Amino acid sequence: MLRIVKAIFLVMIFIFVFPLNTSAQDLISINDMIENAKEYDGKHVTIQGEVIGECLERGEYSWININDGTNAIGIWLKNSDTKSIKYYGNYKYRGDIIKIKGIFNRACKEHGGEPDIHNISFEKIKSGFYIQENVSAAKIFVSIVFVISALLMFLFYYKVFRVEKGIK
Amino acid sequence: MKREKKKKAYSIEIISYYTGYIIFIISSLMIIPAVVSLFFREWSAMLDFVISSSISFIFGLALTMFGLRTRESKSNVHWKHGFAVAAFSWLVLTVLCAIPYSLSGHTQSFLDACFDVMSGFTTTGLVLLQDLDHISNGLNMWRHMLTFIGGQGMIVLGLTFLVKETGGAYKMYVAEGKDIELLPNVKGTARQIWKISIVYLVIGTVVLWIIGMIIGLNPISALFHGFYIFQSAWSTGGFAPNSQNIMYYHSIMYETVSMILFILGSLNFGLHYAIWQGKRKEVVKNIETQSFFITSFTVCILALAGLSRLHIYPDAVAGFRRIIFNVLSAHTTTGFGAVYARQFINEWGDFGVLIMVIAMLIGGSACSTAGGFKGLRVGIVFKGLIMDVKKLLTSERNMKVYKFHYIKERVLDDVLIKSSAIIIICYIVIFSIGTLLGTYYGYSLSDSAFEAASVTGNVGLSGGVTTPSMPVLLKVYYIIAMYLGRLEFLTVFALIGYIIGGIKKYVKNR
Repeated sequence: MLRIVKAIFLVMIFIFVFPLNTSAQDLISINDMIENAKEYDGKHVTIQGEVIGECLERGEYSWININDGTNAIGIWLKNSDTKSIKYYGNYKYRGDIIKIKGIFNRACKEHGGEPDIHNISFEKIKSGFYIQENVSAAKIFVSIVFVISALLMFLFYYKVFRVEKGIK
Repeated sequence: MKREKKKKAYSIEIISYYTGYIIFIISSLMIIPAVVSLFFREWSAMLDFVISSSISFIFGLALTMFGLRTRESKSNVHWKHGFAVAAFSWLVLTVLCAIPYSLSGHTQSFLDACFDVMSGFTTTGLVLLQDLDHISNGLNMWRHMLTFIGGQGMIVLGLTFLVKETGGAYKMYVAEGKDIELLPNVKGTARQIWKISIVYLVIGTVVLWIIGMIIGLNPISALFHGFYIFQSAWSTGGFAPNSQNIMYYHSIMYETVSMILFILGSLNFGLHYAIWQGKRKEVVKNIETQSFFITSFTVCILALAGLSRLHIYPDAVAGFRRIIFNVLSAHTTTGFGAVYARQFINEWGDFGVLIMVIAMLIGGSACSTAGGFKGLRVGIVFKGLIMDVKKLLTSERNMKVYKFHYIKERVLDDVLIKSSAIIIICYIVIFSIGTLLGTYYGYSLSDSAFEAASVTGNVGLSGGVTTPSMPVLLKVYYIIAMYLGRLEFLTVFALIGYIIGGIKKYVKNR
């Protein structure tokens, strides 16, 4: 009996110390997940990235898209989870950085075979911000120079055109 | 003095004059993305377009002025001029239209910017732009406009604005890969092509706008997304405003409407016009629609059968959204991807990849926005094969004329079959070189073949080869393959021949 208890104890240690499945704690890049989609299919995964675009509400749930710098993927989550997201990344904003723990589906049955992640837990790591657009003085100067050059060129062309047509 | 004025213009002046005119038209279109940037208060992006349009305007005007004697002397435009103008305009415009890409800071090099522009013009849809999710509305507008203009044709656009018909218009029009005559004059035909596209543009954008709002996009964003996706679908381009392409929307409705639009876009303008004229039977009788229906049905069934054996997708809905959508996207040379690039290679297996390669190479219809061999040529060669078999089996004294229906009844002769077969062979050669080059750089055979078919057929689906870090030579080759595929070889060969001829003449005269 004691031998069996010892064996179970050892097995339990092995399971916890050397897990066969990927731990949900380990961050995975989206590209790695896609590259090894069959391996990760149906497993718990953790990804971290910027929320981009906008929130697409579908009833009680929503889609958000996360870009981790390697690729982007859709996250299916409850509407209540999206409330804490303030910034969605686009030209003017750097989106919130969030950490998602969820189940990766290589070809989600619920969503027409789409590769997605169904959210289990959600954590905001860093808030997004407004990207201050810096227009350099050099760019403004170059623009003015080219616009004036184009206008002068057009005037010259117009003059040549008039001469050619015999208009004084 | 007067006699000197009447002296005919040199070829280089004729080419310069018309190229300048087309550049002038396209450069003025940069005002649209500049206005979009102004609307969204994207100041830096707006200045990028101001600089780019000014440079293009100056360049276009300089070329026009250099060739001004063309108009003055009413010089005739020969076929060689028409072909050279088309091929040269595409090259020059690729460089000029890449300026705002480069100024945006979203490209690693100017070559990458040119790659994206050529990809847009040729309605391919491969992307080297980086951080696509953060690009300006102005640049997004420009990317999608380029694919829309490229789909209908830059020469077609230039001819639309012609004040009066010129003798060379038809030659330039044909040189751009379009030969359908909807109306007796080319200017009218060009305008009709744009009229058809604009009507679809309005309907398609409104439908996608409504669906966009239903699926959760805000109204302004839904309108722009609808406009972009329509342009991309109708032009069989495959660009999308976000890095996830069509998967960004997570919507079967959005995908289905896009699919309908890209199928419509891959059909011949002549067919659209015939239907507008009430000739609905044309859909059934036309050799191209017959060919498209047979090939698309065959590749869809084969892909479904092949992938169901691998148990890749769980049910019929997934089969429709992931297999049918992608296969038709490949066949119409659109390039909207409903799975990730690497999933094609890793999950679809060799059979699935091979089906996609075949679908991409066949392509859509002639005189449409699609690329590839074109259904017309496949149909002609197939009918030619049947004709030869029939001839073998019948008496030599039996002289039968074989015909096919393409807008009207046409005689199927050996010259037509030969010219169709030559173009198909050219496509296969370009595809083979692309595959060879890919494998040379260490990509797998399936990766290389998939990407080579995608660039040759102007499709835009990727197996993961096309990235900013890919070898420079491969980027250059893909640009050339897209260019050759879109202009259907002869136009580019004519330009090369013209340049070589000019060099020989110069050397001889020295």
